[in-house]
Amino acid sequence: MIKIKQALFLIFGITSFIIFYIGFLNYITTQDESVGLVILISSAIVSVGTLFATFYISNNITKPIELLAKRMNEFSKNNFITKNSLDDKGILELQTLNKNFEDMAKKVGGALEKEKLLNLNLQEMDTRKTEFMSMISHELKTPIMPIMGYLQMLKKEDMMGKLNEKQLDALNEITISTQKLQKLIQDVLVAEKIDLGKLSVEKEILDAKILVENSYKAFYPICENKDVKLIIILKTSEMVFSDVDRISQVFSNLISNALSFVPEKNGVIEIGTIDNSENVTFFVRDNGIGIPEDMQKNIFKKFYQVDTSSKRKKEGSGLGLSICEGIVRHLGGKMWVESKINQGTTFFFDLPKAKIPLENFKSFKNSKNSKK
Amino acid sequence: MSNTISSPENQNESRLNVLIIDDNEQITKMISSFLDMSNHECTVVNDGKEGVELIKTHQFDSIVLDLAMPECDGYEILDTLQNEDPSQLSKIIILTASNIPIETIRKFKDLGISSCLQKPVDIDQLLSKITDITN
Repeated sequence: MIKIKQALFLIFGITSFIIFYIGFLNYITTQDESVGLVILISSAIVSVGTLFATFYISNNITKPIELLAKRMNEFSKNNFITKNSLDDKGILELQTLNKNFEDMAKKVGGALEKEKLLNLNLQEMDTRKTEFMSMISHELKTPIMPIMGYLQMLKKEDMMGKLNEKQLDALNEITISTQKLQKLIQDVLVAEKIDLGKLSVEKEILDAKILVENSYKAFYPICENKDVKLIIILKTSEMVFSDVDRISQVFSNLISNALSFVPEKNGVIEIGTIDNSENVTFFVRDNGIGIPEDMQKNIFKKFYQVDTSSKRKKEGSGLGLSICEGIVRHLGGKMWVESKINQGTTFFFDLPKAKIPLENFKSFKNSKNSKK
Repeated sequence: MSNTISSPENQNESRLNVLIIDDNEQITKMISSFLDMSNHECTVVNDGKEGVELIKTHQFDSIVLDLAMPECDGYEILDTLQNEDPSQLSKIIILTASNIPIETIRKFKDLGISSCLQKPVDIDQLLSKITDITN
């Protein structure tokens, strides 16, 4: 790295010194003293002139460049340039450069300003949307409460009297629909929380084996009812540092999903863990219809459905998987899918192993105490 | 929902006196008729201020409290009780539609409130919490 000023002074300094030195040599060696003196003086004048010219040129080149560099720096920091501090005199090329930079900066600055405004608007709209969604879900939860309450009461013979079979049938149908509605509202709320990064998690040391077994216990009756085999495969059982309720929520979503895609006969769902050095990897595998490869990358997006045709058999909001992915992400893990058409689908998710024992045991104790 | 703690025979020996504070009339009506049919005494208020007055003047075995209410909300009621009659706090069951953050639930626990239920709540579960508190 060398400055233009230094380079100029070096070159012209040496040049003027050489000119002066030749003049001086000439003066010493020449026979005609007056001619030698004239040459000496003129060489001195030339070398001094050269130095002055160097000074002038260097100032004219480097000053505007320095100023331009300063303005560019300013612009890159604030997206804004202060008013022109270069005068109109000086080197033409540099003036043009400065002018061009100014035009460009104005355009870029304007575009950035617009984008900033647009972003702010988007952010505000997004916050509004989220607030609206959370308000709506909150308002929807409230009327469900009396509906569910009266449904429960109607089923109690000693309270409301005995219902006939048709009435009971109707009651059960209402209950199922209401429960679905309730689940949907909860899903929307959780999805919004994930979007806002406000999902609350309470981590503690958990046994991977017990996590899998809990989900097995919760789903065994449902699977048996539907004639689907539910199998546990544990390749490793380590401790994870995570949130038990959120993990069971993930398992529950994945197993429910699997249940709606397994074949009617010989449906099999396997849940368990596989070995992994850094994390504990959990999985839920089904032998269902599978997910086409080109759709696999989208399935964790909100409201995405593989089959969007109006004739689709499976119902659902398209929130389940995006919630799972969001929860796993909030727990410090990642989620992915492997699937082959007509062979089945496996959802995997990693959760960090419980590492530093001392620290974790502390929080283990804390979380235990707080649950009492 | 398969819980059957609520069969009236069980409750006959101990008839409980429950106060319900919630601005939603459908909810209070439902809970009160359920408690009524489960042979418990039930008082309903749809306004927070009235609720505080009742707690001050009457003796209840348990208080079911909604948090989000216009004018005087559940948090205000909890504040008043904490300042004036903290012994009432242990009788409170919070029943809310909002998601309560873990820190707030911890705070409730520190105040002596053990139950914080989410709407829509299973009514059998609500009743079992009410009887738990009085035991």
